[in-house]
Amino acid sequence: MSRRYDSRTTIFSPEGRLYQVEYAMEAIGNAGSAIGILSKDGVILVGEKKVTSKLLQTSASTEKMYKIDDHVACAVAGIMSDANILINTARVQAQRYTFAYQEPMPVEQLVQSLCDTKQGYTQFGGLRPFGVSFLFAGWDKNYGFQLYMSDPSGNYSGWKAAAIGANNQAAQSMLKQDYKDEITREEAIQLAIKVLSKTMDSTSLTSEKLELAEVFLSNGNVKYQVCSPETLTQLLLKSGVTQPAADAS
Amino acid sequence: MMKIDFSGLDPYMPVKGNAEDLDDEILAAPSFKLPVTVDFDGFQKAAVQMVKPAKGTTTLAFIFKDGVMVAADSRASMGGYISSQSVKKIIEINPYMLGTMAGGAADCQFWHRNLGIKCRLHELANKRRISVAGASKLLANILYSYRGMGLSVGTMIAGWDENGPGLYYVDSEGGRLKGTRFSVGSGSPYAYGVLDSGYRFDLSVEEAAELARRAIYHATFRDGASGGVASVYHVGPSGWKKLSGDDVGELHYSYYPVEPTAVEQEMADVPIA
Amino acid sequence: MESVFGLVGKDFAIVVADSSAVHSILVHKTNEDKIMVLDSHKLMGASGETGDRAQFTEYVQKNVALYQFRNGIPLTTAATANFTRGELATALRKNPYMVNIILAGYDKDVGPSLYFIDYIASLHKVDKAAFGYGSYFALSMMDRHYRRDMSVEEAIELVDKCIREIRSRLVVAPPNFLIKIVDKDGAREYGWRESIKDAPVAAA
Repeated sequence: MSRRYDSRTTIFSPEGRLYQVEYAMEAIGNAGSAIGILSKDGVILVGEKKVTSKLLQTSASTEKMYKIDDHVACAVAGIMSDANILINTARVQAQRYTFAYQEPMPVEQLVQSLCDTKQGYTQFGGLRPFGVSFLFAGWDKNYGFQLYMSDPSGNYSGWKAAAIGANNQAAQSMLKQDYKDEITREEAIQLAIKVLSKTMDSTSLTSEKLELAEVFLSNGNVKYQVCSPETLTQLLLKSGVTQPAADAS
Repeated sequence: MMKIDFSGLDPYMPVKGNAEDLDDEILAAPSFKLPVTVDFDGFQKAAVQMVKPAKGTTTLAFIFKDGVMVAADSRASMGGYISSQSVKKIIEINPYMLGTMAGGAADCQFWHRNLGIKCRLHELANKRRISVAGASKLLANILYSYRGMGLSVGTMIAGWDENGPGLYYVDSEGGRLKGTRFSVGSGSPYAYGVLDSGYRFDLSVEEAAELARRAIYHATFRDGASGGVASVYHVGPSGWKKLSGDDVGELHYSYYPVEPTAVEQEMADVPIA
Repeated sequence: MESVFGLVGKDFAIVVADSSAVHSILVHKTNEDKIMVLDSHKLMGASGETGDRAQFTEYVQKNVALYQFRNGIPLTTAATANFTRGELATALRKNPYMVNIILAGYDKDVGPSLYFIDYIASLHKVDKAAFGYGSYFALSMMDRHYRRDMSVEEAIELVDKCIREIRSRLVVAPPNFLIKIVDKDGAREYGWRESIKDAPVAAA
């Protein structure tokens, strides 16, 4: 019976559900997870890289973190090919805004414009929704540091700490438990690593399986920084989720 | 007049069938007359301007304590030729609103009728009459959207709405001015002279009507393109009413009756020497 | 003929414009407001063709309001200036607006600012600016007497100097001027400088 309603995105089921959109969210539930935490001096994003094969050449640059403009970055969970399209439109939107107003696009507007695109694909005929969730980290002069989460339906919301991808519910409840309002960026990184170490399937956390990016202010300018594998290893050691001996051997 | 030769366009093959049966006129190279001029575009522009009537006009309107007084002459001219002495230059948009006409007669008439429709639709949709501000803005926006395309309109929208009397000047350049005293048309400088010197806010209806009539009369006296009848309308709380329409020639003799003057020198017979 | 000018003071900006509506040799009106209040802290003085002036400033005002409704935050003065410039630039190759603009605004973080935007869509951030026939007199007057840290009283004195010079040296000088000011408390009318009174708008 339900088969009649899940073949097209534009039709509600008698229970008032949009199956295609829900299936898209399901797809994201299997993807590598990502966590974002808002701290008082910046926003951090941590993502889990799924290493599918030893032969796979892990890309030199990041694969889950993308810079959208000088002041906004995002972490992705879901179908990467879909994400690439959306990231491209987000970058174009940000540039258009700067072209019109000669100032950086406010973070929420950027998120909203992207979600408008996502929403369109849940309504207009014959199209499949984007199978992607995002975490956006950014700074603007009106509201300072911000963290947003968006899903395939085109919904978005602002968060202090949020998780997307595999095991996101478990991660989210751990974040809720341990988040403090006055958290610093350093503490936020430790918290994110701790949460990921518990929610990820793999037994030990290593720098190849993780990506860390930060958005913060340095002498008045917004800075987006991706953590190098070496620093990441140091951080993992410090948090005690990996053993130095195991690493050395 | 020159003739354009289209013979180059004729087919090489002769028309099949019996050529003699065809009328000469059909077989002859098609042609039409062209004006003998070097600057054809300029000629065309001037020609269009020449046939656009009601260019020379005097219209005026002013707000005073009892409403708005609107007046106009009635002459339509095409260049030097007077094409009509009985043009209705005050257009009745609805029972509470008047428009005046200066510039192209067709443009004014058409867009005022169009405005009348829009005002009525507004009334039906909103269960209340449109304000003068709203109506004039409607017209100004339409004219602005056609800017640079040759429309020629100089109009005043006068009426009575919920805020009392209203008066706006609107033109085809997109201008829209709110005011208490306007005059439009080639005779307007003359009309302004009379209007400005005689205007007070607390004029009575009769005084205001006379001021308006007088201003139109003086404008028609000095402006060759204005003349005919001086019509005067008054818009009050219960709508507009036409007060008068006087031939300016007759007005002239009522303002300045011919005084019998003594003959300076009687012609006398030359005395026979 | 048209005169629009403005200047930035210590913690405020002023825009001045003549208030004549002119058609060839005729003055239709001497109390026309040519300074649009764009939002609570922005002023837009404009000179140019009557229709374009009214339509374009209203267009910008509505867009600024739309931005605020949509996003819940006001557009900064700089962003408004760049938006305005962009609109003029796109219109320039289609159906240009014949308007010159002086945009003044006050932002919490940057204080007062003044932008010069002409009809061919060039944009300059300036301390003082002028357009129209009155600009020849106003510019030199401001060059000579302007200081960055002027108080409101000093600035108004300078504005009055400019108006006096325009009235006495310009053949076709407009009779009346309108002065508007913007500071931390918002944009508002400061005063009129009138040498001719138009008939009062009917209160009937």
